[in-house]
Amino acid sequence: MFNVELTGELVAFFVLAAIMISGAVLMLTLTKVVHMVASLAAVFLGLAGMFVLLEAEFVAFVQVLIYAGAVSILMIFGIMMTKHEAVQEEPVRPVQEIVSAIGALCLFGIMFYAIRLTAFPAPSAPVTTGEDNTMEIGKLLFTQYVIPFELVSVLLTVAFIGAIVLAKKEAE
Amino acid sequence: MGDRLLEPLSWGNALIFFLLAVVMLAVVLGFVTYAIYFERKVIGWMQFRKGPNRVGPLGLLQSVADIGKLLLKEDTIPRKADRVLFILAPALCYIPAFAVLAVIPYTNKLYFTDLNVGVLYYVALSGISTLAIVLGGWASNNKYALLGGMRSAAQMISYEVPLVISIVGTVMLTGSMSLRSIVEGQGGGWFWDWNFLPQIIGFAVFVIAAVSELNRTPFDLPEAESELVAGYHVEYSGFRFAFFMLSEYVYVFAIASLMTVLFLGGWHPPAPFLDFVPGIVWFALKFICIVFFLFWLRATFPRVRVDQLMGFGWRVLLPLAILNIFVTAAYMEIFIKR
Repeated sequence: MFNVELTGELVAFFVLAAIMISGAVLMLTLTKVVHMVASLAAVFLGLAGMFVLLEAEFVAFVQVLIYAGAVSILMIFGIMMTKHEAVQEEPVRPVQEIVSAIGALCLFGIMFYAIRLTAFPAPSAPVTTGEDNTMEIGKLLFTQYVIPFELVSVLLTVAFIGAIVLAKKEAE
Repeated sequence: MGDRLLEPLSWGNALIFFLLAVVMLAVVLGFVTYAIYFERKVIGWMQFRKGPNRVGPLGLLQSVADIGKLLLKEDTIPRKADRVLFILAPALCYIPAFAVLAVIPYTNKLYFTDLNVGVLYYVALSGISTLAIVLGGWASNNKYALLGGMRSAAQMISYEVPLVISIVGTVMLTGSMSLRSIVEGQGGGWFWDWNFLPQIIGFAVFVIAAVSELNRTPFDLPEAESELVAGYHVEYSGFRFAFFMLSEYVYVFAIASLMTVLFLGGWHPPAPFLDFVPGIVWFALKFICIVFFLFWLRATFPRVRVDQLMGFGWRVLLPLAILNIFVTAAYMEIFIKR
């Protein structure tokens, strides 16, 4: 199991996994909200790196652009506008913490077991993940999945207009 | 160089990657040193001054002396600052600035990697620097720094949108987001075949949005010295400050390269009979012209007002960029037979 070839991919995988896990743990343990957002950004970046390893460059850089860039900045922006020194209150409830720790371990066990059991069948239709998978994504989006794509954009526009209407109401 | 990335990672390959990165870093640092000198000279001439002329012949060692001063300066961290983020921010600002250079094709042979989403890679990573500026401004625990950071965030979010959309026209003409294919699509003819004339609206929007992304005059509101002392880096000194300045100039390098690649034909000569001159010379010439243009802007333009900045981004640049997409699509549908 451990005599794998030491490729750049493997090294990168472990580095990225370390970044993601430590980011996620820090996100939970840190108390200052801005620190939490910064560690969350680290998780987003690590995830983008994972997408690159899976040869999904388009998804990877959209992940960086939207989540690590825009969403993190918006969150920080919101925190700054509201409360400069926002700190999460530390709840002291030992029983609840123990119970949730056991629950989390059980969940991990079940998921690990399920993943180990599952056989991943090869996709029936050969997916072309050749040179330019960005092009393939684009083609699929505008042919096979054009209706969901358009519906999502309508949904986004509705949310956008709704936000403007709400903000206008507040201002008046 | 791209093929080597697919090989297994041996110590030899790792060493080659490391050495290439070091060479690139040396080139970039050399560029930054002399870009600062060039900028001060150009602005000096435009204001009927001489510019730096004391340190070394013609003042050529002025930037070296300045960098030496910055590195030797005492490194101060305010007591009430958020220590971790304060230390992290300059590095986080610089890493993406250097990382974006990986996708720029300098000539047909000389490039680090040919990513099929090169354009997107550039824009995505440059957003991380803004995150660092915001964090640095916040961590300084200083109202001017905070204001500078907030302005930077607002400006980045407003101008990244027209920047990306202005590139879409170029991507449509080429049919690829790989920077190398975009340059190859412009080759073989005269200079009017380059993307800047067919994509003139996109080019104009890109130039304005790019200057804004660089946080340089006339869009240098995050560090507006007359209003905010020095903006997000008020509290920084010594080499942490140097890192912020360094990333700004590395972004000048990157955006000038990107503009050359996307709109000015990359390594292609302006006329077919000039083909005998090596591509890197043409790339360098176009690159230097853009860098000069950026310095020229700084010497001649006043700063825009904050409220006008936002309005301009959303109400003028964004509709223009979207219009450019429609015009390009219509042009391609009518004139280019497939």
